[in-house]
Amino acid sequence: MAHSSIEADAPYWAALDEGRLVMPRCGHCGTWHWPAVARCGECGNWGVEWHDVAPEGTVFTWTRTWHPFGGTEGIGTPFVTLVVSIDGAGGKRLMGLLDGDDAGIAIGAKVKGVVGQTRFGDRAVPSFHWHLAN
Amino acid sequence: MNKALFATTAVAGIGIRQFKRGQSPMSERTALVHAIVDACAEAGLDPADVDGFVSYGDDKNEPVRLMPELGTKELCWSQAVFGGGGGGIAAAFGSAAAAILTGQASAVIVFRALVQGHSGRLSAAVMAHHLNDMMIAAGVMAPAQVCAMRAMRLFEHHGVPTSTAEEFVKACYYHGARNPDAVAYGQTFDHAQYAASRMIAEPFHLFDCSRENDGAGAVLLVSAERARDLRKPPVYLLGVTQGTEKGWGDLAENDVDYASAGFASVVRRLWRQTDLTPADIDCAQIYENFSAQGVASLIDHGFCGYEDAAEFVRMENLIAPGGKLPINTAGGNTAQGFIHGIGIALESVRQLRGESANPVPGARTCLLAGGPGSPTVSSAIFGSAAAFG
Ligand SMILES: [Zn+2]
Repeated sequence: MAHSSIEADAPYWAALDEGRLVMPRCGHCGTWHWPAVARCGECGNWGVEWHDVAPEGTVFTWTRTWHPFGGTEGIGTPFVTLVVSIDGAGGKRLMGLLDGDDAGIAIGAKVKGVVGQTRFGDRAVPSFHWHLAN
Repeated sequence: MNKALFATTAVAGIGIRQFKRGQSPMSERTALVHAIVDACAEAGLDPADVDGFVSYGDDKNEPVRLMPELGTKELCWSQAVFGGGGGGIAAAFGSAAAAILTGQASAVIVFRALVQGHSGRLSAAVMAHHLNDMMIAAGVMAPAQVCAMRAMRLFEHHGVPTSTAEEFVKACYYHGARNPDAVAYGQTFDHAQYAASRMIAEPFHLFDCSRENDGAGAVLLVSAERARDLRKPPVYLLGVTQGTEKGWGDLAENDVDYASAGFASVVRRLWRQTDLTPADIDCAQIYENFSAQGVASLIDHGFCGYEDAAEFVRMENLIAPGGKLPINTAGGNTAQGFIHGIGIALESVRQLRGESANPVPGARTCLLAGGPGSPTVSSAIFGSAAAFG
Protein backbone atom coordinates (compact mmCIF):
# COMPACT_ATOMS: atom_id res chain seq x y z
CA MET A 1 0.00 0.00 0.00
CA ALA A 2 1.52 3.29 -1.10
CA HIS A 3 1.40 6.20 1.28
CA SER A 4 -1.01 8.92 0.30
CA SER A 5 0.69 11.89 -1.27
CA ILE A 6 -1.84 14.32 0.20
CA GLU A 7 -1.27 13.42 3.85
CA ALA A 8 0.81 15.74 6.02
CA ASP A 9 3.46 13.06 6.55
CA ALA A 10 3.88 12.20 2.84
CA PRO A 11 7.44 13.67 2.65
CA TYR A 12 8.51 11.45 5.57
CA TRP A 13 7.53 8.28 3.73
CA ALA A 14 8.91 9.50 0.41
CA ALA A 15 12.30 10.21 2.01
CA LEU A 16 12.27 6.88 3.83
CA ASP A 17 11.90 5.16 0.44
CA GLU A 18 15.15 6.92 -0.52
CA GLY A 19 16.89 5.89 2.70
CA ARG A 20 16.76 9.32 4.35
CA LEU A 21 15.12 10.79 7.47
CA VAL A 22 13.36 14.10 7.08
CA MET A 23 11.38 15.88 9.77
CA PRO A 24 9.02 18.87 9.57
CA ARG A 25 9.76 22.26 11.08
CA CYS A 26 7.74 25.46 10.96
CA GLY A 27 9.32 27.89 8.52
CA HIS A 28 8.14 30.84 10.59
CA CYS A 29 8.63 30.09 14.29
CA GLY A 30 11.02 27.15 14.01
CA THR A 31 8.94 24.65 16.00
CA TRP A 32 9.64 20.99 15.14
CA HIS A 33 6.46 18.97 14.70
CA TRP A 34 5.65 15.28 15.04
CA PRO A 35 3.18 13.94 14.06
CA ALA A 36 3.46 15.94 10.86
CA VAL A 37 1.16 18.95 10.43
CA ALA A 38 0.03 21.08 7.50
CA ARG A 39 -0.35 24.17 9.69
CA CYS A 40 1.78 25.16 12.69
CA GLY A 41 -0.54 25.42 15.67
CA GLU A 42 2.05 27.51 17.52
CA CYS A 43 2.09 30.47 15.15
CA GLY A 44 -0.57 29.78 12.52
CA ASN A 45 1.91 29.46 9.66
CA TRP A 46 1.02 27.11 6.80
CA GLY A 47 4.60 26.82 5.61
CA VAL A 48 6.06 23.68 7.14
CA GLU A 49 9.55 22.84 5.86
CA TRP A 50 11.13 19.41 5.76
CA HIS A 51 14.75 19.02 6.82
CA ASP A 52 17.21 16.19 6.47
CA VAL A 53 17.97 14.92 9.95
CA ALA A 54 20.53 12.36 11.11
CA PRO A 55 18.81 9.19 12.39
CA GLU A 56 20.43 9.51 15.80
CA GLY A 57 18.87 9.97 19.17
CA THR A 58 18.20 8.94 22.73
CA VAL A 59 15.92 6.16 23.99
CA PHE A 60 12.92 7.88 25.57
CA THR A 61 11.19 4.63 26.47
CA TRP A 62 11.02 1.04 25.31
CA THR A 63 9.32 -2.32 25.73
CA ARG A 64 10.31 -5.89 24.94
CA THR A 65 7.29 -7.72 23.51
CA TRP A 66 6.98 -11.41 24.36
CA HIS A 67 3.36 -12.13 23.47
CA PRO A 68 2.91 -12.94 19.76
CA PHE A 69 0.30 -10.27 19.05
CA GLY A 70 -1.44 -10.63 15.70
CA GLY A 71 0.59 -8.73 13.11
CA THR A 72 3.97 -9.34 14.75
CA GLU A 73 4.51 -12.71 13.02
CA GLY A 74 6.94 -11.17 10.53
CA ILE A 75 9.09 -9.82 13.37
CA GLY A 76 9.15 -12.79 15.72
CA THR A 77 9.12 -12.55 19.52
CA PRO A 78 10.71 -11.35 21.65
CA PHE A 79 11.54 -8.01 20.09
CA VAL A 80 12.28 -4.54 21.44
CA THR A 81 10.32 -1.45 20.42
CA LEU A 82 11.83 1.96 21.09
CA VAL A 83 10.56 5.49 21.30
CA VAL A 84 13.56 7.60 20.27
CA SER A 85 14.02 11.34 20.86
CA ILE A 86 15.65 12.56 17.66
CA ASP A 87 18.61 14.78 18.52
CA GLY A 88 18.44 16.83 15.32
CA ALA A 89 14.68 17.41 15.42
CA GLY A 90 14.18 19.20 18.71
CA GLY A 91 13.76 15.90 20.57
CA LYS A 92 10.63 14.89 18.65
CA ARG A 93 10.08 11.17 19.12
CA LEU A 94 9.92 8.39 16.54
CA MET A 95 9.06 4.76 17.15
CA GLY A 96 11.07 1.89 15.78
CA LEU A 97 12.49 -1.58 16.32
CA LEU A 98 15.83 -2.28 18.00
CA ASP A 99 18.13 -4.55 16.02
CA GLY A 100 21.14 -6.42 17.34
CA ASP A 101 22.26 -6.78 20.92
CA ASP A 102 19.63 -5.46 23.33
CA ALA A 103 21.48 -6.15 26.58
CA GLY A 104 22.22 -2.47 27.23
CA ILE A 105 18.75 -1.19 26.50
CA ALA A 106 17.64 1.53 28.93
CA ILE A 107 16.04 4.92 28.90
CA GLY A 108 18.75 7.43 27.99
CA ALA A 109 20.76 5.03 25.82
CA LYS A 110 22.12 6.48 22.58
CA VAL A 111 20.94 4.84 19.35
CA LYS A 112 21.55 5.14 15.62
CA GLY A 113 19.09 4.15 12.93
CA VAL A 114 19.24 2.63 9.48
CA VAL A 115 16.39 2.36 7.04
CA GLY A 116 14.85 -1.08 6.90
CA GLN A 117 11.52 -2.78 6.59
CA THR A 118 9.02 -4.39 8.93
CA ARG A 119 6.99 -7.32 7.64
CA PHE A 120 3.28 -6.94 8.34
CA GLY A 121 1.20 -9.61 6.68
CA ASP A 122 2.22 -9.48 3.01
CA ARG A 123 3.34 -5.87 3.28
CA ALA A 124 6.83 -4.53 3.87
CA VAL A 125 6.47 -1.28 5.80
CA PRO A 126 9.53 0.97 5.52
CA SER A 127 10.90 1.85 8.92
CA PHE A 128 13.91 2.85 10.95
CA HIS A 129 15.73 0.04 12.67
CA TRP A 130 17.79 1.23 15.60
CA HIS A 131 20.90 -0.17 17.20
CA LEU A 132 22.68 0.80 20.37
CA ALA A 133 25.37 3.35 19.59
CA ASN A 134 27.94 2.22 22.15
CA MET B 1 -18.78 25.23 41.65
CA ASN B 2 -20.96 24.46 38.67
CA LYS B 3 -24.33 24.59 40.43
CA ALA B 4 -26.21 23.71 37.26
CA LEU B 5 -24.58 20.29 37.24
CA PHE B 6 -23.98 19.51 40.93
CA ALA B 7 -26.50 16.90 42.15
CA THR B 8 -29.11 17.96 39.60
CA THR B 9 -29.19 14.63 37.78
CA ALA B 10 -29.13 11.15 39.28
CA VAL B 11 -28.82 7.50 38.44
CA ALA B 12 -32.18 5.79 38.91
CA GLY B 13 -31.38 2.30 37.70
CA ILE B 14 -28.64 -0.02 36.49
CA GLY B 15 -28.56 -3.28 34.57
CA ILE B 16 -25.84 -5.60 33.34
CA ARG B 17 -25.39 -8.92 31.56
CA GLN B 18 -21.86 -10.29 31.66
CA PHE B 19 -20.57 -13.48 30.04
CA LYS B 20 -17.22 -15.08 29.35
CA ARG B 21 -15.45 -13.67 26.31
CA GLY B 22 -16.70 -15.29 23.13
CA GLN B 23 -19.40 -17.21 25.01
CA SER B 24 -22.40 -14.92 25.08
CA PRO B 25 -25.57 -16.98 24.65
CA MET B 26 -27.28 -13.99 23.09
CA SER B 27 -26.54 -11.32 20.52
CA GLU B 28 -24.91 -8.06 21.46
CA ARG B 29 -28.13 -6.13 20.95
CA THR B 30 -30.18 -8.61 22.94
CA ALA B 31 -27.72 -8.40 25.84
CA LEU B 32 -27.98 -4.62 25.67
CA VAL B 33 -31.78 -4.61 25.58
CA HIS B 34 -31.80 -6.90 28.62
CA ALA B 35 -29.47 -4.54 30.48
CA ILE B 36 -31.60 -1.51 29.62
CA VAL B 37 -34.85 -3.22 30.58
CA ASP B 38 -33.25 -4.30 33.88
CA ALA B 39 -32.10 -0.73 34.59
CA CYS B 40 -35.59 0.58 33.93
CA ALA B 41 -37.16 -2.16 36.08
CA GLU B 42 -35.00 -1.08 39.03
CA ALA B 43 -36.28 2.45 38.62
CA GLY B 44 -39.87 1.45 37.96
CA LEU B 45 -39.79 3.28 34.65
CA ASP B 46 -41.27 1.98 31.40
CA PRO B 47 -38.39 1.27 28.96
CA ALA B 48 -40.55 2.82 26.25
CA ASP B 49 -40.15 6.16 28.04
CA VAL B 50 -36.37 6.22 27.71
CA ASP B 51 -35.79 9.02 25.22
CA GLY B 52 -32.01 9.33 25.15
CA PHE B 53 -28.93 7.13 24.74
CA VAL B 54 -25.21 7.78 25.05
CA SER B 55 -22.31 5.41 24.51
CA TYR B 56 -18.54 5.59 24.05
CA GLY B 57 -15.55 3.67 22.72
CA ASP B 58 -16.76 2.71 19.21
CA ASP B 59 -19.92 0.98 20.40
CA LYS B 60 -21.70 -0.49 17.37
CA ASN B 61 -25.25 -0.25 18.71
CA GLU B 62 -26.84 2.76 17.13
CA PRO B 63 -29.67 3.68 19.49
CA VAL B 64 -32.30 3.92 16.77
CA ARG B 65 -31.96 0.16 16.25
CA LEU B 66 -32.98 -0.48 19.85
CA MET B 67 -36.34 1.22 19.45
CA PRO B 68 -38.43 -1.72 18.19
CA GLU B 69 -37.43 -3.90 21.16
CA LEU B 70 -37.64 -1.20 23.82
CA GLY B 71 -40.89 0.18 22.43
CA THR B 72 -39.25 3.61 22.40
CA LYS B 73 -41.88 6.28 21.82
CA GLU B 74 -39.55 9.10 20.95
CA LEU B 75 -35.79 9.29 20.44
CA CYS B 76 -34.58 12.73 21.50
CA TRP B 77 -30.86 12.23 22.23
CA SER B 78 -28.57 9.83 20.42
CA GLN B 79 -24.88 10.38 21.08
CA ALA B 80 -21.47 8.76 21.30
CA VAL B 81 -18.32 10.19 22.85
CA PHE B 82 -15.38 10.35 20.45
CA GLY B 83 -12.34 8.22 21.29
CA GLY B 84 -11.61 4.56 20.82
CA GLY B 85 -10.62 3.60 24.34
CA GLY B 86 -12.42 3.79 27.66
CA GLY B 87 -11.70 7.49 27.97
CA GLY B 88 -15.30 8.36 27.22
CA ILE B 89 -17.01 6.43 29.98
CA ALA B 90 -17.45 9.31 32.44
CA ALA B 91 -17.92 11.77 29.58
CA ALA B 92 -20.99 9.77 28.52
CA PHE B 93 -22.64 10.80 31.80
CA GLY B 94 -21.77 14.40 30.99
CA SER B 95 -23.55 14.12 27.67
CA ALA B 96 -26.59 12.48 29.30
CA ALA B 97 -26.74 15.16 32.01
CA ALA B 98 -26.40 17.93 29.42
CA ALA B 99 -29.42 16.56 27.58
CA ILE B 100 -31.53 16.30 30.73
CA LEU B 101 -30.57 19.66 32.21
CA THR B 102 -31.29 21.52 28.97
CA GLY B 103 -34.60 19.77 28.40
CA GLN B 104 -33.47 17.94 25.28
CA ALA B 105 -34.23 14.52 26.80
CA SER B 106 -35.63 13.32 30.11
CA ALA B 107 -34.55 9.71 30.67
CA VAL B 108 -31.16 8.84 29.22
CA ILE B 109 -29.41 5.46 29.16
CA VAL B 110 -25.60 5.42 29.28
CA PHE B 111 -24.51 2.08 27.85
CA ARG B 112 -21.72 -0.09 26.48
CA ALA B 113 -22.26 -3.45 24.82
CA LEU B 114 -19.63 -5.82 23.56
CA VAL B 115 -20.07 -9.35 22.29
CA GLN B 116 -17.03 -10.70 20.52
CA GLY B 117 -18.97 -12.66 17.91
CA HIS B 118 -20.53 -9.36 16.86
CA SER B 119 -17.84 -6.74 17.40
CA GLY B 120 -14.62 -8.78 17.55
CA ARG B 121 -11.89 -8.46 20.14
CA LEU B 122 -12.01 -5.19 22.04
CA SER B 123 -8.23 -4.83 21.96
CA ALA B 124 -8.34 -5.15 18.17
CA ALA B 125 -11.12 -2.58 17.93
CA VAL B 126 -9.25 -0.12 20.13
CA MET B 127 -6.11 -0.61 18.07
CA ALA B 128 -7.93 -0.26 14.76
CA HIS B 129 -8.92 3.17 16.00
CA HIS B 130 -5.26 4.20 16.28
CA LEU B 131 -3.15 1.85 14.20
CA ASN B 132 -0.97 3.42 11.54
CA ASP B 133 2.22 2.59 9.69
CA MET B 134 4.39 4.35 12.29
CA MET B 135 3.17 1.82 14.84
CA ILE B 136 3.16 -1.19 12.54
CA ALA B 137 6.76 -0.44 11.58
CA ALA B 138 7.69 -0.55 15.27
CA GLY B 139 5.83 -3.80 15.93
CA VAL B 140 3.22 -1.99 18.04
CA MET B 141 -0.02 -3.82 17.34
CA ALA B 142 -1.81 -3.84 20.71
CA PRO B 143 -2.81 -1.38 23.44
CA ALA B 144 -0.71 -3.43 25.89
CA GLN B 145 2.50 -2.44 24.10
CA VAL B 146 1.72 1.28 24.09
CA CYS B 147 0.78 1.22 27.76
CA ALA B 148 3.89 -0.88 28.52
CA MET B 149 6.13 1.81 27.06
CA ARG B 150 4.41 4.43 29.20
CA ALA B 151 4.71 2.18 32.25
CA MET B 152 8.42 1.70 31.53
CA ARG B 153 8.89 5.46 31.63
CA LEU B 154 6.83 5.73 34.84
CA PHE B 155 8.98 3.11 36.56
CA GLU B 156 12.43 3.63 35.05
CA HIS B 157 12.50 7.41 34.63
CA HIS B 158 10.12 8.71 37.31
CA GLY B 159 11.19 6.14 39.86
CA VAL B 160 7.74 4.85 40.77
CA PRO B 161 8.36 1.28 41.99
CA THR B 162 6.88 -1.59 40.02
CA SER B 163 5.40 -2.78 43.31
CA THR B 164 2.65 -0.18 42.86
CA ALA B 165 1.30 -2.01 39.81
CA GLU B 166 1.23 -5.28 41.69
CA GLU B 167 -0.44 -3.71 44.74
CA PHE B 168 -3.09 -2.14 42.50
CA VAL B 169 -3.83 -5.52 40.92
CA LYS B 170 -3.90 -7.22 44.32
CA ALA B 171 -6.54 -4.77 45.53
CA CYS B 172 -8.67 -5.52 42.46
CA TYR B 173 -8.36 -9.26 43.06
CA TYR B 174 -9.08 -8.85 46.77
CA HIS B 175 -12.42 -7.27 45.90
CA GLY B 176 -13.13 -9.55 42.94
CA ALA B 177 -12.54 -12.66 45.05
CA ARG B 178 -15.26 -11.42 47.42
CA ASN B 179 -17.79 -10.44 44.76
CA PRO B 180 -20.05 -13.31 43.60
CA ASP B 181 -20.63 -11.53 40.26
CA ALA B 182 -16.91 -11.21 39.51
CA VAL B 183 -14.91 -13.46 37.20
CA ALA B 184 -12.32 -13.78 39.97
CA TYR B 185 -14.88 -14.75 42.63
CA GLY B 186 -13.39 -17.20 45.10
CA GLN B 187 -9.97 -17.08 43.48
CA THR B 188 -6.77 -16.47 45.36
CA PHE B 189 -4.13 -14.10 44.13
CA ASP B 190 -0.69 -13.48 45.56
CA HIS B 191 2.79 -12.32 44.71
CA ALA B 192 3.94 -15.74 43.57
CA GLN B 193 1.13 -16.01 41.01
CA TYR B 194 1.78 -12.47 39.80
CA ALA B 195 5.52 -13.00 39.43
CA ALA B 196 5.10 -16.37 37.74
CA SER B 197 2.61 -15.17 35.15
CA ARG B 198 4.01 -14.92 31.64
CA MET B 199 5.46 -11.70 30.32
CA ILE B 200 3.32 -9.90 27.73
CA ALA B 201 5.29 -6.73 27.00
CA GLU B 202 7.83 -5.57 29.57
CA PRO B 203 7.15 -4.48 32.24
CA PHE B 204 3.67 -6.06 31.98
CA HIS B 205 2.94 -9.59 33.10
CA LEU B 206 -0.31 -11.23 32.13
CA PHE B 207 -1.87 -10.10 35.41
CA ASP B 208 -1.17 -6.45 34.61
CA CYS B 209 -3.63 -6.64 31.73
CA SER B 210 -7.41 -6.33 31.96
CA ARG B 211 -9.63 -9.11 30.71
CA GLU B 212 -12.29 -8.95 28.08
CA ASN B 213 -15.84 -10.11 28.60
CA ASP B 214 -18.98 -10.35 26.51
CA GLY B 215 -22.01 -8.49 27.73
CA ALA B 216 -23.71 -5.15 28.11
CA GLY B 217 -24.26 -2.62 30.86
CA ALA B 218 -26.77 0.21 31.15
CA VAL B 219 -27.19 3.11 33.56
CA LEU B 220 -30.37 5.20 33.62
CA LEU B 221 -29.91 8.92 34.30
CA VAL B 222 -32.82 11.25 35.02
CA SER B 223 -33.24 14.62 36.74
CA ALA B 224 -32.59 14.57 40.48
CA GLU B 225 -36.16 15.65 41.04
CA ARG B 226 -37.58 12.77 39.03
CA ALA B 227 -35.16 10.28 40.59
CA ARG B 228 -36.58 11.01 44.04
CA ASP B 229 -39.96 9.70 42.87
CA LEU B 230 -38.53 6.48 41.46
CA ARG B 231 -37.90 3.20 43.31
CA LYS B 232 -34.21 3.29 44.08
CA PRO B 233 -32.37 5.86 46.22
CA PRO B 234 -30.90 8.37 43.76
CA VAL B 235 -27.16 8.36 43.19
CA TYR B 236 -26.35 11.92 42.22
CA LEU B 237 -23.95 13.04 39.55
CA LEU B 238 -21.91 15.78 41.25
CA GLY B 239 -19.57 16.66 38.44
CA VAL B 240 -18.01 15.41 35.24
CA THR B 241 -15.23 16.59 32.95
CA GLN B 242 -13.70 15.25 29.75
CA GLY B 243 -11.08 15.95 27.15
CA THR B 244 -7.41 16.81 27.31
CA GLU B 245 -5.10 19.79 26.82
CA LYS B 246 -2.18 20.92 24.70
CA GLY B 247 0.68 18.45 24.76
CA TRP B 248 -1.48 15.34 25.00
CA GLY B 249 -3.53 13.36 22.50
CA ASP B 250 -3.04 11.11 19.51
CA LEU B 251 0.56 12.30 19.14
CA ALA B 252 2.48 9.16 18.12
CA GLU B 253 4.15 8.92 21.56
CA ASN B 254 5.05 12.62 21.65
CA ASP B 255 2.87 13.48 24.65
CA VAL B 256 4.58 15.93 26.97
CA ASP B 257 3.68 14.36 30.34
CA TYR B 258 4.24 10.97 28.75
CA ALA B 259 4.11 8.67 31.79
CA SER B 260 0.94 10.24 33.14
CA ALA B 261 -2.55 8.95 32.45
CA GLY B 262 -3.47 12.16 30.63
CA PHE B 263 -5.88 13.55 33.23
CA ALA B 264 -4.11 16.80 34.19
CA SER B 265 -6.62 19.25 32.73
CA VAL B 266 -9.64 17.01 33.28
CA VAL B 267 -8.85 16.64 36.97
CA ARG B 268 -8.10 20.34 37.41
CA ARG B 269 -11.53 21.15 36.00
CA LEU B 270 -13.22 18.40 38.02
CA TRP B 271 -12.09 19.77 41.38
CA ARG B 272 -12.90 23.32 40.33
CA GLN B 273 -16.31 22.29 39.02
CA THR B 274 -17.34 20.44 42.18
CA ASP B 275 -15.45 22.38 44.89
CA LEU B 276 -14.24 18.96 46.05
CA THR B 277 -10.68 17.72 46.61
CA PRO B 278 -9.07 14.26 46.69
CA ALA B 279 -9.65 14.25 50.46
CA ASP B 280 -13.43 14.37 49.83
CA ILE B 281 -13.43 11.14 47.80
CA ASP B 282 -14.48 8.10 49.85
CA CYS B 283 -13.90 5.43 47.20
CA ALA B 284 -12.94 5.29 43.55
CA GLN B 285 -13.57 3.18 40.50
CA ILE B 286 -10.39 3.58 38.49
CA TYR B 287 -10.58 2.28 34.92
CA GLU B 288 -7.52 0.11 34.53
CA ASN B 289 -6.80 -1.14 31.05
CA PHE B 290 -3.40 -2.00 32.50
CA SER B 291 -2.10 -1.88 36.06
CA ALA B 292 0.42 0.95 35.64
CA GLN B 293 -2.20 3.15 33.98
CA GLY B 294 -4.39 2.63 37.06
CA VAL B 295 -1.52 3.80 39.23
CA ALA B 296 -0.90 6.78 36.94
CA SER B 297 -4.60 7.63 37.17
CA LEU B 298 -4.38 7.72 40.98
CA ILE B 299 -1.37 10.02 40.69
CA ASP B 300 -3.10 12.27 38.14
CA HIS B 301 -6.12 12.63 40.42
CA GLY B 302 -3.88 13.81 43.23
CA PHE B 303 -4.23 10.90 45.65
CA CYS B 304 -0.44 10.63 45.67
CA GLY B 305 2.59 11.81 43.69
CA TYR B 306 5.55 10.14 42.02
CA GLU B 307 7.52 10.47 45.26
CA ASP B 308 5.04 8.88 47.67
CA ALA B 309 3.31 6.50 45.24
CA ALA B 310 4.98 3.48 46.85
CA GLU B 311 3.68 4.51 50.25
CA PHE B 312 0.11 5.15 49.08
CA VAL B 313 -0.42 2.46 46.45
CA ARG B 314 -0.42 -0.50 48.81
CA MET B 315 -3.18 -3.05 48.97
CA GLU B 316 -4.22 -2.26 52.53
CA ASN B 317 -4.84 1.38 51.54
CA LEU B 318 -6.93 0.38 48.53
CA ILE B 319 -9.37 -2.17 49.94
CA ALA B 320 -12.77 -1.97 51.63
CA PRO B 321 -13.90 -1.45 54.26
CA GLY B 322 -11.01 0.28 56.02
CA GLY B 323 -8.52 1.41 53.35
CA LYS B 324 -7.70 5.08 52.86
CA LEU B 325 -9.17 4.93 49.35
CA PRO B 326 -10.89 1.67 48.45
CA ILE B 327 -10.66 1.28 44.68
CA ASN B 328 -12.42 -0.99 42.19
CA THR B 329 -14.57 -2.42 44.94
CA ALA B 330 -16.27 -4.94 42.63
CA GLY B 331 -12.89 -6.09 41.29
CA GLY B 332 -12.51 -3.56 38.49
CA ASN B 333 -11.77 -4.39 34.88
CA THR B 334 -9.08 -6.78 36.10
CA ALA B 335 -11.04 -9.04 38.44
CA GLN B 336 -14.73 -8.18 38.12
CA GLY B 337 -14.94 -8.31 34.34
CA PHE B 338 -14.41 -6.01 31.41
CA ILE B 339 -17.19 -4.85 29.14
CA HIS B 340 -15.11 -1.87 28.16
CA GLY B 341 -15.40 -0.47 31.67
CA ILE B 342 -19.16 -0.11 32.05
CA GLY B 343 -18.91 -2.41 35.09
CA ILE B 344 -17.00 0.18 37.09
CA ALA B 345 -19.71 2.76 36.39
CA LEU B 346 -22.29 0.36 37.80
CA GLU B 347 -20.13 -0.28 40.86
CA SER B 348 -19.99 3.47 41.55
CA VAL B 349 -23.77 3.35 41.83
CA ARG B 350 -23.92 0.14 43.87
CA GLN B 351 -21.30 1.43 46.30
CA LEU B 352 -23.24 4.63 47.00
CA ARG B 353 -26.50 2.71 47.43
CA GLY B 354 -24.84 0.41 49.96
CA GLU B 355 -25.29 -2.55 47.59
CA SER B 356 -21.63 -3.33 46.88
CA ALA B 357 -20.24 -6.78 47.61
CA ASN B 358 -17.41 -4.89 49.34
CA PRO B 359 -19.16 -1.97 51.01
CA VAL B 360 -17.30 1.14 52.10
CA PRO B 361 -19.22 2.12 55.25
CA GLY B 362 -20.80 5.54 55.02
CA ALA B 363 -19.40 6.28 51.57
CA ARG B 364 -20.70 9.67 50.43
CA THR B 365 -18.71 10.10 47.23
CA CYS B 366 -17.27 7.87 44.54
CA LEU B 367 -14.91 8.87 41.73
CA LEU B 368 -15.28 7.27 38.31
CA ALA B 369 -12.15 7.70 36.17
CA GLY B 370 -12.15 6.51 32.56
CA GLY B 371 -9.50 5.48 30.08
CA PRO B 372 -6.09 6.22 31.54
CA GLY B 373 -3.56 6.89 28.80
CA SER B 374 -6.20 7.39 26.12
CA PRO B 375 -5.89 10.44 23.87
CA THR B 376 -8.97 11.83 25.62
CA VAL B 377 -10.07 10.85 29.12
CA SER B 378 -12.90 11.72 31.51
CA SER B 379 -13.77 11.65 35.18
CA ALA B 380 -16.96 11.96 37.18
CA ILE B 381 -17.93 12.12 40.83
CA PHE B 382 -21.11 10.56 42.16
CA GLY B 383 -22.70 11.28 45.54
CA SER B 384 -25.01 9.28 47.80
CA ALA B 385 -28.66 10.12 48.48
CA ALA B 386 -27.92 10.38 52.20
CA ALA B 387 -25.26 13.04 51.71
CA PHE B 388 -26.57 15.02 48.77
CA GLY B 389 -30.35 14.42 48.70
ZN1 LIG C 1 5.18 28.12 13.71
